[in-house]
Amino acid sequence: MRGRRSGKTLFILAIFFLAILGAAALAAPWIAPHNPTAQDLSRRFSPPGRQFFLGSDDFGRDLLSRIIFGSRSALLVGIVAVSIATLLGTIVGLAAGLAPGAVDNLLMLFMDSLLSFPTVLLAITVVSLLGYGLAQVMLAIGVIYSPVFARLVRAETLAIKTEEYVEASRSLGSPLVKIVFRHILPNLAGKVIVQGSVTFALTVVIEASLSYLGLGTQPPTPSWGLMLKDARNYLVQAPWMALYPGLILALTVLCFNIIGDTLSERLNPKLR
Amino acid sequence: MKRSVNFAAVLAALLLMLPAGTLPAKGQGEAKALNFALSGNPDTLDPHKTAGTLTFQTLKSVYDTLVEPDQSEKLVPALAERWEVSADGLTWTFSLRQGVLFHNGDRLTAKDVKATFERIKAKETASPKANEFAAISGIQIPNDAMVVIKLSQPYAPFLATLASGWGAILPKSLIDSGHDFAAKPVGTGPFKLVEWVRDSRIVLEKNPGYWLKGAPKLEKVIMNIIPERAVQVQGLLSGQIDAVEFVDKDDLKILEANPEVKVDKQLTALILVMGINCSNPILQDLRVRQALNYAVDKQQVLDVAYGGGKVIGTFMDVSNAFYKDFTGLYPYNPEKAKSLLQEAGVPKEASFDLVLPQNYELHVKAGQLIQEMLTRVGLNVKIKLVDWPTWLSEVYKAAKYDLTVVGHTGKLDPDGTLAGYGKKDRYVRWENPRAADLITQAAKTVGGENRKKLYDEALELMAREVPFVYLGSSYRYVAFRKSVVDFRMTPKLDTFDFRWTELK
Repeated sequence: MRGRRSGKTLFILAIFFLAILGAAALAAPWIAPHNPTAQDLSRRFSPPGRQFFLGSDDFGRDLLSRIIFGSRSALLVGIVAVSIATLLGTIVGLAAGLAPGAVDNLLMLFMDSLLSFPTVLLAITVVSLLGYGLAQVMLAIGVIYSPVFARLVRAETLAIKTEEYVEASRSLGSPLVKIVFRHILPNLAGKVIVQGSVTFALTVVIEASLSYLGLGTQPPTPSWGLMLKDARNYLVQAPWMALYPGLILALTVLCFNIIGDTLSERLNPKLR
Repeated sequence: MKRSVNFAAVLAALLLMLPAGTLPAKGQGEAKALNFALSGNPDTLDPHKTAGTLTFQTLKSVYDTLVEPDQSEKLVPALAERWEVSADGLTWTFSLRQGVLFHNGDRLTAKDVKATFERIKAKETASPKANEFAAISGIQIPNDAMVVIKLSQPYAPFLATLASGWGAILPKSLIDSGHDFAAKPVGTGPFKLVEWVRDSRIVLEKNPGYWLKGAPKLEKVIMNIIPERAVQVQGLLSGQIDAVEFVDKDDLKILEANPEVKVDKQLTALILVMGINCSNPILQDLRVRQALNYAVDKQQVLDVAYGGGKVIGTFMDVSNAFYKDFTGLYPYNPEKAKSLLQEAGVPKEASFDLVLPQNYELHVKAGQLIQEMLTRVGLNVKIKLVDWPTWLSEVYKAAKYDLTVVGHTGKLDPDGTLAGYGKKDRYVRWENPRAADLITQAAKTVGGENRKKLYDEALELMAREVPFVYLGSSYRYVAFRKSVVDFRMTPKLDTFDFRWTELK
């Protein structure tokens, strides 16, 4: 019982944190104390204090403002990439689940081969082919994570389509489209949402990783990954440059995972 | 998935905060081994197949050249004991040092020199420096100790070419047998290559039969490949690394606070610039290029991005004998920049790509500073990071860019720096037949004063017509443990000369 309650508290805290982060991202231009790209070369490496609440970086830019604006890249990539992955994965998964065996095998063979590559490596390859930048990163991550959704959707579709109420509906002459939208998709939604929140966490990390490698967000646009990249040269002189963006990144990922976990427990009758 | 907050992902997020790379373990009983930090892998160890600085920095210890620059940049005998040049500048006669042995036991003779230069000139070698040897029309070897080189036209930079890393002399027997010089260099140099473990280390061992008596003094040089700056600095502080060749100015405070570490400040022969693509319809307007020069606070860029340095006003390094001061032409003046841009009628929506080589962090940093300065005078500049091979093909070869920041390394002869400018094939696409003509003329002019006059005029044209924003020549901070004595760098070429170095 106690585990369940503390889980609920965590869940609420996670939602709360992400809500604040989302609000900050939306309201960034109004709440950020400084212009995130404005350089003040006379105030490089200022420690956290009154002028710069979380300190300043190697260009004398305000760290807090950059973290706030950086949340935009992180969340934008998450939302767009997860949407692409969900859409693409659901279409493929539905097709595979409903189509005859040969088509099913072919589609899933393709999806499985995508899954067999390490994600960051695949992302780097895609981005190198398409060119560096945020849009390319979103597309790359979206495509890379679509197999996860495809497998999930296919498995669920296979299970749902043999349920008695679906059989009944079909024998009454309902068209396939109706079956998909009335019966299959609504029953899938929960699991897809859980998968989405877990994937969201991963996309945030991959965006940061790619930006860290210089392949994602282009400077001077703030991104947590880029901030960490800059910071690694100044770990001794200016530890705050690494500490705060790193903490926010880790917390964001943690919160998405907590939400995904809690939801999956709720939606899975076996764990309930 | 139950109870499995994805700790791997959280851990990955936290790991991004740490610098990558590890330090080598200091070996036992290697008191006379120097642990050196190299910032990256050479692309190859074949001196005739690359223009990469890291290769020449490594090979300076393995190979010798006929002549070499001393600490005052004078060209002095190395494998050639003496040389003579005919009055018309077309016949060069070199007398080789006797009793020099290659690492494989071969004795150095005139045949090796001839085979080496023929290898560089050969089409299948595809040496990026082949053009510097193009003037050679024939090589005669009257005896084992003498090489006579005929040139088709006078070529003033000839001796400097022979003294550069790409003039390294290879043994004929191995050239003939198709030896793999890219991985296993064999020269006459002060050290032999023991092993090269990619991304880890290059180990060099003393050549006991080296022709220069009393050198080298070290038993071993271990070049540790450490790309991360923070790791290099930590290694130096803890004593695992004895010398770091390029320390960032921002790290000086920590280093100077350590009594075991000393820092040397030298002016590099770098020509740091922002290249401007003059074939861009807006940037081909001289007024716009002048505005860019007025808009950038060069000293500020040098200080913040490159650790300080001296501003230059034209395309020549500041300590070069051929340098002429034009820094007064376009001082920092953002107001003037704005009015020039208005006069030129640069449209508000015009946007320029500032393409930066992302593995060169200093250029990326300079680019970010410049972008902000250009934004302040009302220009719309977008940064695009690319990797180094892409930079070479897209920017340097194909000129698909608007602006870029890069550093040109120093050359022993001004022709190495200036050859080709004024013609459309250089990456700034600046066309000036007069300048191109002067530069071609100067390469054929032997004799200091006349040559200098030609270069003076060419450099003035480059200074006035600004195909670049000239930034400057930066300082280099070399840091060592106190125990390291007499570490030298070859002037202009920026290679490491370990022959004199000792550990005390």
